Amino acid sequence: MNRVAVRAIRAHLVRFCLSVLAVALGVAFVAGTFALRTMLGSTFADIIATTTLGDAYVRGADDAGGAAGPGAGTHNRVPLSLVGPIEQVDGVAAALPDLQGPVVLVGADGTAVQSTQAPSFAFAYDSRDRAVRLVAGHPPRGPGEVVVEQTTLDASGLAVGDDTTLVVGGELRPVRVVGVAEIGAALAGATVVFVDRATAEAAFAPDGTAVSIAVNAEPGVTEQQLADRLGPVLRQDATPGAPPAVAITGDEMRAEATESIEEVLGFVTTFLLVFAGVSLFVGAFIIANTFAMWVRQRTRELALLRAVGASPLQVFGSIVLQAALVGVVGAVLGVAGGLGLVVLLRRVMASFGMDLTGRVPLDAFTVVVSVLLGTLVSVAAAAVPARRAALVPPVDALRDEVTLPERSLVRRALVGATLLLVGAAAISRALLRPEADGADRMLGLGACAVVLGVLGVAPVVARGALTALGAPLLVLRPVGRLARGNVVRHPRRTANTAGALMIGMALVGASAVIAATAQASTRAIVTREASTDFILRVAPAGTVPAQAVADVRALPDVRAADAFATAAVRVAQGDDGSFTVTGVDPEAIGRSVRTTEVQGSFRDALARGDVAVQRTTARDEGWRVGDELTLTGTGEPRSVRIGAVIDSPAFGVPLVAPQAVLDELVPADQQQVTTVFVTAVPGTDLEELRGELTTTVLPYVVVTVMDPEQFVSDLAEQVDRVLVILYALLGLSVVIAVLGIVNTLALSVIERTREIGLLRAVGLGRVQLGSTITVESVLTAVFGTAVGLVVGVALAATLPTVFADRGLRTLAVPWGSLLVMLALAVVVGVLAAVWPAIRAARLPVLLAVSAE
Amino acid sequence: MSDVIASANDLVKVYGEGPTAVRALDGIDVDLVRGELTAVMGPSGSGKSTFMHCLAGLDRPTSGSVVVDGAEVSRWSERRLTHLRRTRVGFVFQSYNLVPTLTALENITLPLDIARRPVDRQHLDLVVRTLGLGDRLDHKPSELSGGQQQRVACARALIARPAVVFADEPTGNLDSASSAEVLGFLRRSVDELGQSVVMVTHDPTSAGFAHRVLFLADGRLVGELRDPTPATVLEQLGAAGR
Repeated sequence: MNRVAVRAIRAHLVRFCLSVLAVALGVAFVAGTFALRTMLGSTFADIIATTTLGDAYVRGADDAGGAAGPGAGTHNRVPLSLVGPIEQVDGVAAALPDLQGPVVLVGADGTAVQSTQAPSFAFAYDSRDRAVRLVAGHPPRGPGEVVVEQTTLDASGLAVGDDTTLVVGGELRPVRVVGVAEIGAALAGATVVFVDRATAEAAFAPDGTAVSIAVNAEPGVTEQQLADRLGPVLRQDATPGAPPAVAITGDEMRAEATESIEEVLGFVTTFLLVFAGVSLFVGAFIIANTFAMWVRQRTRELALLRAVGASPLQVFGSIVLQAALVGVVGAVLGVAGGLGLVVLLRRVMASFGMDLTGRVPLDAFTVVVSVLLGTLVSVAAAAVPARRAALVPPVDALRDEVTLPERSLVRRALVGATLLLVGAAAISRALLRPEADGADRMLGLGACAVVLGVLGVAPVVARGALTALGAPLLVLRPVGRLARGNVVRHPRRTANTAGALMIGMALVGASAVIAATAQASTRAIVTREASTDFILRVAPAGTVPAQAVADVRALPDVRAADAFATAAVRVAQGDDGSFTVTGVDPEAIGRSVRTTEVQGSFRDALARGDVAVQRTTARDEGWRVGDELTLTGTGEPRSVRIGAVIDSPAFGVPLVAPQAVLDELVPADQQQVTTVFVTAVPGTDLEELRGELTTTVLPYVVVTVMDPEQFVSDLAEQVDRVLVILYALLGLSVVIAVLGIVNTLALSVIERTREIGLLRAVGLGRVQLGSTITVESVLTAVFGTAVGLVVGVALAATLPTVFADRGLRTLAVPWGSLLVMLALAVVVGVLAAVWPAIRAARLPVLLAVSAE
Repeated sequence: MSDVIASANDLVKVYGEGPTAVRALDGIDVDLVRGELTAVMGPSGSGKSTFMHCLAGLDRPTSGSVVVDGAEVSRWSERRLTHLRRTRVGFVFQSYNLVPTLTALENITLPLDIARRPVDRQHLDLVVRTLGLGDRLDHKPSELSGGQQQRVACARALIARPAVVFADEPTGNLDSASSAEVLGFLRRSVDELGQSVVMVTHDPTSAGFAHRVLFLADGRLVGELRDPTPATVLEQLGAAGR
């Protein structure tokens, strides 16, 4: 039987090629995702391994707040005064405080040296630092000298001896490049500059503390010995009342750093795997369809096998074996393709200045999981048709014309309708009680059930929908009638073929609606809450330098410049979690922002030194006006009172504190200022002010001046950028779906050889035949797209109700884009039909007439 | 208008090459008369189907020529042959005659739809009435009996008033009663509508409905009979077999 299975594949290679391709594309996505993760992981692991070279590290004992963002500021800072006592300890070669912070380096072309989204750091230079090697010039000897990392120097266009500007600690500073340093790792695009110790201390440790102190051992002292010896010194020199700093070994530090990076990468991986999963799911449809049609066409051959004594199990086994072969071949090709994708991605990233590690990201895990996944999906998809094939009665081999009866659609329709109802019920519940716990999960599960339910009832819907859809085409006689008849003939097959496209298009439609809703909501929020004339913005990873804000405030036409600073703090109550806090001048409330107050006066609360909490946070945490919260930033914990509850998607953070309170919790250099609202003195010519502002912030390079309208479109552009990435990821599932249409058409052409011959014999021309197949394809594609878009749009339309709390409040449906997608479906249908139509037209009439 | 509807001149068809080559037709010269039902008979492998395929423009002869309704078609391009089939030739096959997705009526008017010609209601009514299909027109082929399906096929072959109808074993799958109906109708279409029909068959009873029977063996024309009866056909077959 195995020989029969293998021969069958060899004999119908073309027929299986598209199935193999479908598996390969899905698996390529999975393998690519894993490989990308491995590559990113090893890039950051390299950075850790080559930069975290201390034998021991001293850091604060407790968890604490600090800079916003994952993995940052989870421990108290340690005083720099510990450096002296540590260096006195026996066996210590050097104690190097971690003095680093954000900077902006101005390149040779006068713009900031920064690659997309990657951060820009300055470090204190120390010749005893093992991670850094000076390759040219000399170390920075004063505030006016910097050493630049090699790849940063290449990107900046600067050379040793050049004069440029550095924005450090919120101030502009003219500097000269005096040296070049190397760090032994690809830096993933980060901009790295070294400054002298005094400058770094002044800018990054104004309060005399650092995140940690790296300690190098003298030869012969192990990491553990070193850490043990440091302990007593730390306890002895601890600030009274505060917990003493602790010493950990270098290995522990590296393990922790790796762990926090893995956590972030895990999120990225999950996100990508969702799309890989969709692709594989779509691919499974194609495989199932291929085998279903293959079984249909081979019924007689299979019956013959049964007649000569093959057991149903053997027939089943032989088909499953074929599916497994398709799966393995497709998966192996897919793994190769996935690696190719990642290598390509690395090239592209490198051309954008983002260097990633050069290692080939291939590991056994990726290969095994990908191949297994491809094979299992193929086998599972083929199992149902295989079971049907196994039950073909041997007597069918003797019949002239064998047709398996179309199975009843009742069971599938019932299951689908049930899922649809359950999904709709879950969504209704989420809609009726959006405040309830788990409403979002309810919505997610409901959406999944609805999509699966629609897939279930699709064949039943298909007959009516396609009949209606094809009605206008009847004027194209006889092409329209023939094509419509063909797609309605096998509603299950048509629905499955369209189903693959449907899933992709549902996601595309939902993304489009979510993006449009997000943009419309942003616009509404800005219009409602911001009463400002201009907005100063920086790129997401940057911060508006304090001096720039001061310069703007000094302009005579500026009434106020309100900076919104954010940082993370821990709250010792309720969840005991980390919250993002925005610090703002109390005067700004009502001056540059108008906020809906749920309880208490926002402005008065901040003026009293109280904090305001977001309505949703108050609800989730059970906080009320008058409650005391203990906030921990980088230093001492501080108790604050909740003075108001606000409802403000513009702030978009759980807690708003007066700027003075935030400064006490987290030092100013650790706060991030991405937005400054500028209000003009009444009667000022705004265009003139815009010019003044632009001139004022120009030296700071990274700051942009926008009016509220530009601000909104800038935010909208960010949404669009995310949308483009989503579309690219979803594009793959659409490509697979198109392959599915090609496959189904090609197989149905083979299946209909006699019918095509008959039509040709009674005079149907080749062009007419090709048109018929094209119309079939277009009908299928438009059906899948239309159902998918309806489902996607309907599901996405529920989001503003459930996620109003997160700022999605204004539903917007981008009808134009949806129509474009429908038009694209027509194009897709035409493209998918090209090859099958050519094949059909080339069938010799006589062969078709006399075919078995 | 000549009296010859189709003619074959030194028609040769060879399948394959070299030692495995098969001469399916080995020099056939014959004229088929307009307004007659001509039956082509012969044992399996005698080349009767190939002969009909060549005459109908479905297959290309290796050498020799075919003239259909005054046109020399054996060297025509596929496009012109398609046009020929669409306008001047009708077909009835042994099985699989109808497009399963179309109703009986849609199947009958298919050649006109393909040619984008208007349907002549009177002619359609006449054909449908003659064939007794009036109450089955809205049915799909799968809902019709074998005999009904072949009658629909005959109606389809006649609807465009072709110069000649080619029928390849039209009763091969039918019981004797249905066969008689279909053959009777083909004969009436000749006698009453002036149609020309060429029919391939291996059944002497079917051949008995023809005006003229041609006997083929091993790719050659070996005999001919006018106004046959099943008995004379059998006799001739027996003679050819010896």
